[in-house]
Amino acid sequence: MRRLVLVDELARVEGNGGITVELEGEKISKVEFNIFEGPRALEAIIRGRPARDIAGIVSRICAICAGVHYVTSIKATEAAFGTKVTETTELLRDLFVRAGNIESHALHVFLLAAPDYLGYPAATAMAADHPDAVKLALRMKKLGNTLQELVGGRAIHPVNPVLGGFGSFPRAADLVAAREELLWAIDALPIALDFVAALPPTEVCTADTTFAALAMPGRYGYFAGDEIVVVRPDGSTTRMPTREYRTLTKEFVVSHSFAKHSAFNGEPFMVGALARVTANRDLLNGSGVMAMKRLGLHVPSRTPLDNNVAQAVELAVDLQMALESVDQLLAGGLVPEAPVRIVPRAGTGTAVTEAPRGLLVHSYTYNEDGRIIAADVITPTAMNAASIERHFQYSVAQHEGGSDEALTRKLEMIVRAYDPCISCSVHLVRRS
Amino acid sequence: MSKPTVGIFGLTGCAGDQLLILNCEDELLDLVELLDIRDFVMANSARDEHSQLDVALVEGAVVTERDEAILRHVRQRSNMLIAIGACAATGGIPGMAPEIDRKQAFHDVYGDAAANFELAADRGRPLSDFVQVDGIIPGCPIEKHEFLGAIASLLQGNPPRLKEYPVCTECRIRENRCLLISDDALCIGSVTRAGCNARCPSLGVACIGCRGPSVDANFPSLEALLVSKGYAVKDIHDKLGVFARLPEPAEAPCAD
Ligand code: SF4
Ligand code: SF4
Repeated sequence: MRRLVLVDELARVEGNGGITVELEGEKISKVEFNIFEGPRALEAIIRGRPARDIAGIVSRICAICAGVHYVTSIKATEAAFGTKVTETTELLRDLFVRAGNIESHALHVFLLAAPDYLGYPAATAMAADHPDAVKLALRMKKLGNTLQELVGGRAIHPVNPVLGGFGSFPRAADLVAAREELLWAIDALPIALDFVAALPPTEVCTADTTFAALAMPGRYGYFAGDEIVVVRPDGSTTRMPTREYRTLTKEFVVSHSFAKHSAFNGEPFMVGALARVTANRDLLNGSGVMAMKRLGLHVPSRTPLDNNVAQAVELAVDLQMALESVDQLLAGGLVPEAPVRIVPRAGTGTAVTEAPRGLLVHSYTYNEDGRIIAADVITPTAMNAASIERHFQYSVAQHEGGSDEALTRKLEMIVRAYDPCISCSVHLVRRS
Repeated sequence: MSKPTVGIFGLTGCAGDQLLILNCEDELLDLVELLDIRDFVMANSARDEHSQLDVALVEGAVVTERDEAILRHVRQRSNMLIAIGACAATGGIPGMAPEIDRKQAFHDVYGDAAANFELAADRGRPLSDFVQVDGIIPGCPIEKHEFLGAIASLLQGNPPRLKEYPVCTECRIRENRCLLISDDALCIGSVTRAGCNARCPSLGVACIGCRGPSVDANFPSLEALLVSKGYAVKDIHDKLGVFARLPEPAEAPCAD
């Protein structure tokens, strides 16, 4: 007997996507993570444009991670031109991306994912019974946005980062105000973590999972690093230089064909907060270590839901580190600097960074006039698509005798745990 | 008075305007008190997909047949339909660079899979190419104050009111140094609708026109000025072609 389990339109995710599972008796004949976003082909339509135009166009791939797209785009162009930016610029970019992570995680963990565990259709409905948690999450989310706006000029689709630096530096008075809010958030953090720790334990699937993340150089962050590290379920690792990112995407994501059987034999990998914490756990600061304990997170993990928990851990790490960055900036006096001069040259530049939902690649080739001739953007959700489907397969296989409604709920929780950015993913994932 | 019923929808785009609504952290809980939000799939899995709506807010451009079908369904169940954000209002980034053949572009990016796309238009098209639109909230993304102002208008049954003058006016009010005149920067604020409080020039960054054209935008005079400053016509048109929407020479009929 043939049965279909369908989710037409995933709720509480960014972009338009769905789930299709087809069963023949107890056998799985089809498992798909469907993408309904229309194609935009941004990489093709920017061809021939000058370097200064690229970030503003390409970052519009996605809104939730527009900030990191924007500065990763700038970083790739600077790599192509051999531009070296100042230390203050690097510090501001690090803070900017971290602020985006704070905003994105506060939104996702508390307002998009938590309602699943507690059986609410939305955070606004959850607010009736858990007003404090929702208000706290909104305030932390706002803090992330405030910091992004201070540094980036706008919370969604930044304008202030430019090739070689920034249009303007933030004003000290605004940073001091944001600092107060950071102190509040650090104080409030235990309440937020306790809320996460108290979410009812939920089983969706157990699976050997391979992770990939940036190897962070000496400091937990999302914008620096020249190596990607892959962590296998047995704990063994492989490293590769970021400019060889294609080794990762070729070797592991065999294809984006949603092949019916290959997901069990191939080796999909998971990117995102859980992958980062797994690959860089030695770099967690005190707040991060405390949060891991409080939340009972053990890595490497065998359930994708732990990505929600890992995001909460990063929230703890980031609030503390953002405070340190703000203090460092204030101590440095924020002396205005004009952006470093850009000298276009022919060549390729690649930047690999960590978006809130995982590894992000921008790789551009320019001609000698500084016009772009090729662009390759690989987004975290495109990388995660194969892993999402693999976790679906495990979940369906492990769901013996349960109802279809219960299965649907599990699959939705899996896909939401990945915090997918479906608008982003259209670049590599083909429509089924 | 009963609360107005509202639906919030996303077609092809980046979801930034819906995210901006979620970014109204201080107002969000009040908004859900003031409005009866029936259908907002990005935030709520409890959906009401059929009841009549007083207001529909629709983000994103129409690219696929699915986009078009959703839009037509939303139009038919809504008294007032407001296009939110650049993609919905003017086609935005999915509709930029009209001169580029999308078939080829889709093939370049998606390979043979591109043959399977079920497209409703040659490129991202604004909602008004398909259905009647009762108002817009411009911007990429929309501005928070304008969104909240629009909600206040909609509560009174009126469409949002917009500024008709260009970004330059706001620049002058803020006493910014003009980047075009003083630095010869390719700033297109003079043809772009105000309402962002000259966000970019105030930071020393040229306006890229993300709020779409101002009323009576004088493209020829901006072009002449930029050419006199040494810019190539192609670069000027490329810049204007992202958001500002030069009037199209021969508007292709909509795939309707
Ligand atoms: S900087 Fe741009 S927006 Fe401001 S006045 Fe000059 S041209 Fe107009
Ligand atoms: S200045 Fe121009 S690009 Fe910047 S926000 Fe305003 S309209 Fe958009």
